[in-house]
Amino acid sequence: MAKKIYDVIVIGTGAGGGMAIKTLCEAGLKVCALNAGQRLDPQKDFRYHRMPWDMKFRGMDDPKRRGESFGYMDNEYTKAAWDHEIPFTTPPGMKWMWPRAKAVGGKTNFWGRSSARFGDIDFKAASLDGYDVDWPITHDEISPYYTRVEKMIGVASTVQNRPSNPDGSYLPPFNFRCLDRILEAGCNKVGVPYLPDRCAQLTRPHEGHPACHFCGECTTGCDVGAFFSTPYFLLPKAEATNNLELRTDALAKNVLVDEKGQAAGVAYIDRKTKLEVEVYARAVVVAASCIESAHILLNSKSRIWPNGMANSSGQVGRNLCDHLYGESARGYLPQLLGQPSFPDHVADSTIAWMPRWQNLKDPHEEKFIRGYSVYPDGGCGDFPGFATDLDGFGPSFKKEIKRRYPTPVSFGIQAPSLRSGTNYVDLDPEVKDPYGIPVARVHFEWDENVLTMWEHSKHVCAEVLHAAGGEFEGSGDEPEIPGWSLHETGTCRMGSDPKKFVTNRFGQTHDVANLYVCDASVFLNCTDKTTTISILAFSLRTSEHLIENFRRGEHKAA
Amino acid sequence: MAGQGVARRRILKILGTAAVAAQFPGFSKWAFACGHVGNAALPIKPAAYRPQFFTAAEYSMVERLTDLIIPSDATPGAKEAGVAEFIDFMVASDPDVQYGFRTGLTWLNAYSEQTAGKKFLELSAEQQTLLLEPLAYKNKTRAGLDAGRRFIRMIREFTVMGFYTSEIGFKELDNPALKFYSESPECPHKNDPEHRHLAQANS
Repeated sequence: MAKKIYDVIVIGTGAGGGMAIKTLCEAGLKVCALNAGQRLDPQKDFRYHRMPWDMKFRGMDDPKRRGESFGYMDNEYTKAAWDHEIPFTTPPGMKWMWPRAKAVGGKTNFWGRSSARFGDIDFKAASLDGYDVDWPITHDEISPYYTRVEKMIGVASTVQNRPSNPDGSYLPPFNFRCLDRILEAGCNKVGVPYLPDRCAQLTRPHEGHPACHFCGECTTGCDVGAFFSTPYFLLPKAEATNNLELRTDALAKNVLVDEKGQAAGVAYIDRKTKLEVEVYARAVVVAASCIESAHILLNSKSRIWPNGMANSSGQVGRNLCDHLYGESARGYLPQLLGQPSFPDHVADSTIAWMPRWQNLKDPHEEKFIRGYSVYPDGGCGDFPGFATDLDGFGPSFKKEIKRRYPTPVSFGIQAPSLRSGTNYVDLDPEVKDPYGIPVARVHFEWDENVLTMWEHSKHVCAEVLHAAGGEFEGSGDEPEIPGWSLHETGTCRMGSDPKKFVTNRFGQTHDVANLYVCDASVFLNCTDKTTTISILAFSLRTSEHLIENFRRGEHKAA
Repeated sequence: MAGQGVARRRILKILGTAAVAAQFPGFSKWAFACGHVGNAALPIKPAAYRPQFFTAAEYSMVERLTDLIIPSDATPGAKEAGVAEFIDFMVASDPDVQYGFRTGLTWLNAYSEQTAGKKFLELSAEQQTLLLEPLAYKNKTRAGLDAGRRFIRMIREFTVMGFYTSEIGFKELDNPALKFYSESPECPHKNDPEHRHLAQANS
C-alpha cells in the first residue's frame, strides 16, 4: 500500500495552529493536525461553575504538588489540560516558568482574552529608537487580517484613537464598574489613559456563538464558548470540511527531511502506545508555541540540517522575548468600604486597561525605550485575599473583612523585554524526556530597560491610586518569574535576510520552502500588547500564503 | 436562552460533584456544607469528625482557635463552616506546614500555662481572648512572642482560607461568584465618578 501523504501537517492546535487548520481545510487541502494532549470535553473536563467547596482542595490543588505546578492556572479546575510529563531545564541561576497546555486548543481554552492590535509604533520601533530591527510588515498590510480575525472571534471594546493602539471593529464594551469610574477619575488627574480593554468576550451573540453570561469563570474554561478558543470557533469549521484528521496524544518529535532538505513529514510519539509514528505531507506548519516550535526544529537534525531544520542562520531558538508581569501597586478604595458586594469579577480579568502612554511623542522621552501597558483590577473577587494581611481576630476582624471586601484594587504591568543575544532556547546536552528526546533549555534574564519600566510603573500606579482617593498598600518586591505571562516571542523571527532571520515576511522558512511557522515565534519582539490576536492574524496571513503556493504548484507531491 | 441552560447545568454539576465527593472519606461538614441542593439529593449522615493529622486534644484547640478568629456572631462563623476539618485535611496533605502547626499548638499551651496557670482550653473565653491579643495585634505585642505570633498568623491564614472558600463564607460576603447576567454589570453611581458621596457616608 502506498504511504498516505497529506497536503499539510499542522503541529499544534492553539491560536496559530487552529487558524492554520481552519484556513487550510476550508481551502480544500487535506490536513493532518498533531496535538500533544487529549481533546477535552468541556462538559466533563472543564470544572467551570464549580464552587471551591465542591473540590477536594477548594480549587487550590494538593499542596504536595506545589513543586511541580506549571503555573497559576494549573490547578484543580483545569487538571487535564497541562503537560507534566515533559521536563525542560534552565541554566544555573536562571528561572523560567513554562506552562504548556497540551489539550486540544492549547492555551486558547483559558486565555486572558485581551486583544489589542500591534501598530506601526511596534513594527517600526527600531527606526524610531534605533534598537534592534523593524518588523518586515506594516499595520496597513496586516490590518485586513486583524479585521477578519476580529469579525471571526468577536472583540468587545471602543474606538480609542490612541497613537500606540490601532482601532479595529468591536462589539459593545464591558460596562465600567464603580472601581473603574474611581480609577478612571484618578487617571484623568494624573494624565494617563484608563479605557475599556480590547476583550475577546462576547458582549453580544456573535457569528453563531452565544453571548457571555458573565459568570466570571473564564480562566477555568467556558462551557458555552462565549469567548474565542479554537475548539469552539475554529476546529468545528475545519471538521465540517471533512479535510481534517486530528491526531491527539501525538507529541511532535521532529520534522522529517527528504533528500533535498525539504520537509517530508513529521515524526511524533503516540503517547498512548509510546511508539514513534511517522506521518507525511507536502508541507508542514509548525505552531507548537514559541519555545516548543524552536525545540522541535532544533531536534530536527539531519545530514543536510546538522544544526536543526531551517537553521542555516543559527537563529532558531534565539531572540527569546517575554512580557514582564508584576504588581505595580496595590491598595484599596475607601469610597467603597462597606458597600454592598458587586459582581466586579465578570470578565475574570480584563475590563479596563491603561494602554501604553510612554514614549509616544518622542521615542526617548523616558529613561527607557518602547513602552508598557497596565491592567488594573479589583473589587469583589472569589476570595478576600487581602484578609490574610489584616491584623487581629474575632468579631472586629470578621466585620473588617466584610467592610473591605468591595475595595481592593491592584495594577498589573505588562512590559516587553528587549531582544538580547543572551536570551534564547537551545537543546539541553544531557537531559532527555521520558521518550529519549533532548529537552529544551531556556536561557533568560530581564534586561535593564524592562526593569526600568517596572520601577516607572510603580511610581505612576501609586500616583494614580492616590489621585483616585485610594490608599496605597504596596508593590510587588520583584516581578513575576520570567515565563509567567505566557507571552514569549522570538525564536524563529521573520525578516527578509536569510542570514539573519528564520522565516520570510510570510512565515515561510527561508531554508525550507515547504516549512512554515504559525505562532509567536515569528514575532520580532513582544510589544506592550498581548499576543493571541496577532498570532491569529499572522497565522491567517501565512496560511493564505501557503494556499497560494499550493495553487501556484510550488508544493508538489513527493 | 443561554442563561437558563447554564443555570440548569450548574445544578447538574453540583449534583455530579457531590456524588464524586461522597466517595471521599472523612468529611462530616465542609464538603457538604453546600446546602439544600447537595443535601436534598444525597443525605449525608453527620458523624463525629475523626482528625487525620491532629490528635484529639490538638484538634479541639484548632476548633477553638478558628472559632475565636472568625466567631459565630450575627452570622455563622468558622465553627458552622467546618473550618477545623478543612485545616486538619490541608495540614494532613501538606508536610511543609505540619511542624509549624504541631509546635505552634504546643507553644500556645506552654505560654498559656506560664502566663495564666492553665492549658489554653481550660481558660475562660475572656482569658483566651486576652491571651491571644498580644499574639494577633501588631500594636499589642511584646518582645519574646515571635514564635506565637508566627503561629497565630499561620492559623489565621488557614482559617480565612477555609472559611471564605466555604459556602457559609461566600454567603457572609455575599460573594457574587457564579451568578449570571444578561449585560455586564455597571456602576450605578453615574453622577459621581469619584464616588465622593460614598466616601462621605463612610467617614
